[in-house]
Amino acid sequence: MLVENIRMAFFAIRANKMRSFLTMLGIIIGIGSVISIVSIGDTMKSVFEGLYREIGVTQAYISIGYWVDDRRQSDFFTLDEITRVKEIFGDEIAYIDSSANTSADAIHGRTTVKFDFNGVDYNYQEVQPVNLIYGRYLNEGDVLGRRKNVVMDTAGAINLFGAEDAVGKTFRTTLYGNVDEYTVVGVYRKEPGPLQAMMMGADTGGGEAFIPYTILTWPNDYFYSLRVFAADEGHMDEFYSSLKNYIAKSKGRKPEDFRVSSVKDEMGNANSLLGGMAMAVGGIAAISLLVGGIGIMNIMLVSVTERTREIGIRKSLGARTQDILMQFLTESAILSACGGALGTMLGGGLVMAGGAVMGVAAVVRPGVVVLAVGFSAMVGVFFGIYPASKAAKKDPIEALRYE
Amino acid sequence: MRSLLKRWGGKKPPNYLTDNVNEDLIRLEDLVKVYDTGALKVLGLKRVNLTIHRGEFVAVMGQSGSGKSTLMNILGCLDRPSMGHYYLDGVDVAAMGSNELSLIRNRKIGFVFQSFNLISRTSALKNVELPMTYARKNKRFREERARKLLERVGLGKRAEHMPNELSGGQRQRVAIARALANEPPLLLADEPTGNLDTAASAEIMELFSQLHKEGTTVVVVTHEEEIAAFTERIIRFRDGEVISDRPNIPRTDAGEGQEGGIETRGS
Amino acid sequence: MLIENMRMAFSAIRANKMRSFLTMLGIIIGIGSVISIVSIGDTMRRLFEDLYRKIGITQAYIAIGYWVDDWRQSDYFSLDEMERIKEIFGDEIAYMDSNANTSADAYYARSTVKFNYSGIDYNYQEVQPVNLIYGRFLNEGDVLGRRKNVVMDTVSAMNLFGVENAVGKTFRTTIYGSTDEYMVVGVYRKEMDPFQAMMMGANTEGGEAFLPYTILTWPNDFIYALRFFCRDEDTMEELCASIKAYVARSKDRQPEDFQMITAKEQMGQWDGMLGGLSMAVGGIAAISLLVGGIGIMNIMLVSVTERTREIGIRKSLGAKTQDILVQFLIESAILSACGGIMGTMLGGGLVKAGGSLMGVDTVIRPGVVVMAVGFSALVGVFFGIYPASKAAKKDPIEALRYE
Repeated sequence: MLVENIRMAFFAIRANKMRSFLTMLGIIIGIGSVISIVSIGDTMKSVFEGLYREIGVTQAYISIGYWVDDRRQSDFFTLDEITRVKEIFGDEIAYIDSSANTSADAIHGRTTVKFDFNGVDYNYQEVQPVNLIYGRYLNEGDVLGRRKNVVMDTAGAINLFGAEDAVGKTFRTTLYGNVDEYTVVGVYRKEPGPLQAMMMGADTGGGEAFIPYTILTWPNDYFYSLRVFAADEGHMDEFYSSLKNYIAKSKGRKPEDFRVSSVKDEMGNANSLLGGMAMAVGGIAAISLLVGGIGIMNIMLVSVTERTREIGIRKSLGARTQDILMQFLTESAILSACGGALGTMLGGGLVMAGGAVMGVAAVVRPGVVVLAVGFSAMVGVFFGIYPASKAAKKDPIEALRYE
Repeated sequence: MRSLLKRWGGKKPPNYLTDNVNEDLIRLEDLVKVYDTGALKVLGLKRVNLTIHRGEFVAVMGQSGSGKSTLMNILGCLDRPSMGHYYLDGVDVAAMGSNELSLIRNRKIGFVFQSFNLISRTSALKNVELPMTYARKNKRFREERARKLLERVGLGKRAEHMPNELSGGQRQRVAIARALANEPPLLLADEPTGNLDTAASAEIMELFSQLHKEGTTVVVVTHEEEIAAFTERIIRFRDGEVISDRPNIPRTDAGEGQEGGIETRGS
Repeated sequence: MLIENMRMAFSAIRANKMRSFLTMLGIIIGIGSVISIVSIGDTMRRLFEDLYRKIGITQAYIAIGYWVDDWRQSDYFSLDEMERIKEIFGDEIAYMDSNANTSADAYYARSTVKFNYSGIDYNYQEVQPVNLIYGRFLNEGDVLGRRKNVVMDTVSAMNLFGVENAVGKTFRTTIYGSTDEYMVVGVYRKEMDPFQAMMMGANTEGGEAFLPYTILTWPNDFIYALRFFCRDEDTMEELCASIKAYVARSKDRQPEDFQMITAKEQMGQWDGMLGGLSMAVGGIAAISLLVGGIGIMNIMLVSVTERTREIGIRKSLGAKTQDILVQFLIESAILSACGGIMGTMLGGGLVKAGGSLMGVDTVIRPGVVVMAVGFSALVGVFFGIYPASKAAKKDPIEALRYE
């Protein structure tokens, strides 16, 4: 009987192609927009996660809380402290530096280029690998000896020197008031995805360079925050809280006075924010599904009226009330589910296409697709109930007499 | 079905779909039908008592408003009497629920209507299959039997045709094949020739005569004497009452339909 | 003719009440949700504006930028500097203090209440009036003499002393390490609407008190940020810029190294963000309007088919093609516009009801309402074009023959 009902439903849908298509179109648009919005949200989540993984999920900054009013000189950090923290936490720390960065004009010959200088330790490339193509990375000697050596990106090298291989070349720049000559010891190539380029800024005619962090704390050896990479992502929360406790104790403060902002937390925040937004906006898009459902109800009512005589005939041949009910319910559910399937393809396709254009791997979760098609069939059943019960309750004598 | 069980006091009920409980296929006892049209009540049928035996070929006659359509609806289990009893095959259908009535219509009654009432844009074969679909017969069985029935009414080669591709007489024959689908004991025809020309009418009535000879009980509602002349018993209605009920010697040859005398024989 | 057409349209709409209602319902929901979302956005914008007006739109903070790496002792402010700035900018500054606040437990008899203390100058109530009901506000003597006098609100007084009139009562508290006896010299009543209470935090258990800002800088006289109120809202941007320039010069830094936060700017940001958000979400809600429009088209197509004979009769009586076209166009426009009006009432009503439930004055711009209704009529016309032209093009002979 179910098979028969489905056959009858497809027959009725085909009999009025234009009408059926327009009715489905409502559901197509509704499901399509819900799927698009939810998938855009999911895609953004995965893009952000990729971005955070790129900069290192185990990374965190520790500094005195901005809410602390009575700041003291001792709230800042010193190089000695970094060394002590390294000793105490040993293997738990993958990397630590003073999170020092600044920007200044680099001058070579008659060219002036604005550079962002990043103070790093010699083992920075263990946590943030770079694609070094010329020369070498900063080494322990550079850092301990506060040597004025830098590693820069290809864009910066071209902007400043007009060539990618700038190893051995020198330039002048002013850091914290001191004008000095710096030597390029290595050049690396940055390879950001298109979205990363968008989010982190593409080449702006400037440059980026790593320099020993010991230079960037010079001449005043205090700095505001520590940058740390935990060795183990699984235990990083425990690690950071014990690090915070240690720092607070060493500075004669309470742990609450210090602030640890970790990339993982930030990622979690971004994730839940995006998730919440996608849910809320998807919910609003689902209003169109409601309107589409009303459209189904309306057209099914028209169809029931038009087919009054058919209903009478079926009843006279022995169709029971629930046979008629099921026939019309099946029809509206199929109408809606087809719309849902088409809408899913439309929405998913749009997101996929958009992703391909922007060079981002689009995320269309199968669970969302199943949910959407299932939900659309449910919409069809729900909005089909009234017309179908109207059909089923028709008096056979009246129905047979209907013109 | 549950209410049916209750009515039989919890004991196993006789299977009224298959057991021939009574030789009286139809028995009406003090049957009354009142139409409540808001302000005034119209008496459709006034205490009708009537028995039709298994295997009879009956015409129900009367002018419009005589109550014959009301009777037809009640006999066909499309409507319920207001008072009195209607025993179909020994079972009182007066108090049945709508699902039980559907079942009765499906298994016990075959309808033939004046306006054919085939489902449009649906092939002759599918139309004939429909009652079997509602009887939950499987597809193979349905198709085989539908083809046989169409063969039986002389439309074996038209099985795949749509109703609008058939002539009136052919459409009515599809309707008759459909009425026979579940082998019902009772064939109810409501003005079956009303939309047909004389030749087609005679063909249809011949078909009914043959079915009658093969054992089916046929009840034809009509206002045409020429049609009634094909039957063996003519019951006349006026103002909701039976005014005459007498046997008729059926006309056998369609060609004689032009001659008079049938009416006098009937009345 | 137009009136005749409208009369015909209404009678056609009335002839199929259920169907017309369901068709309208799509538009009702669409317009209703657009109106709701836009009005919620407008209401939020107003609430934020009120909030900022309450805390003082001319209020601004200046501090060394968080992005500056090489903080120096001289980047902080001293009380002397504050006096100097006050002298230089004179009348243009309505009020200035050290933006000092801290929290500590207040003890009275056997009760302990956590208090938030704000350090203010004696003329604070000129820029932030309070409803003083007992005693007096802080005066110049309190501030200059660093007297341990406080003004608190009624709820705090009840929490700490069990009475509203706490004038003359004393309590003990520890501020920046020194425990002292403080005296209540005045009590005021706070009046906030529910939204303000939500955003600024209602005081239910804790306490709030004003005390001389000169106490909160003691014993270390360095101040992180200056808070001031400008005299004139219109010229405050220029004033802030010149204060920044002056501060930077006096501290031997670039003006970009200082951060200036003004209430007006923040309000502008909220306003822009909320405006953009409600536009975007309203746009997504408008998808349901599209679906509703498709519903109109579908039902009008059904209606045209059903009335084929009527069209034939009209044509045989001399109706021109455009007469039929206009007839059906007007019908679908009226259907849609009625839906638009009802949707506006629904959306506006919901927002009003929600607003009165939450005790908030709602904003429903007449421009938005006019636009919504106009747009819905346009939707009707647009989606009516196809069915109406189908009706208009019918061949009169065929149409008359139609069953």
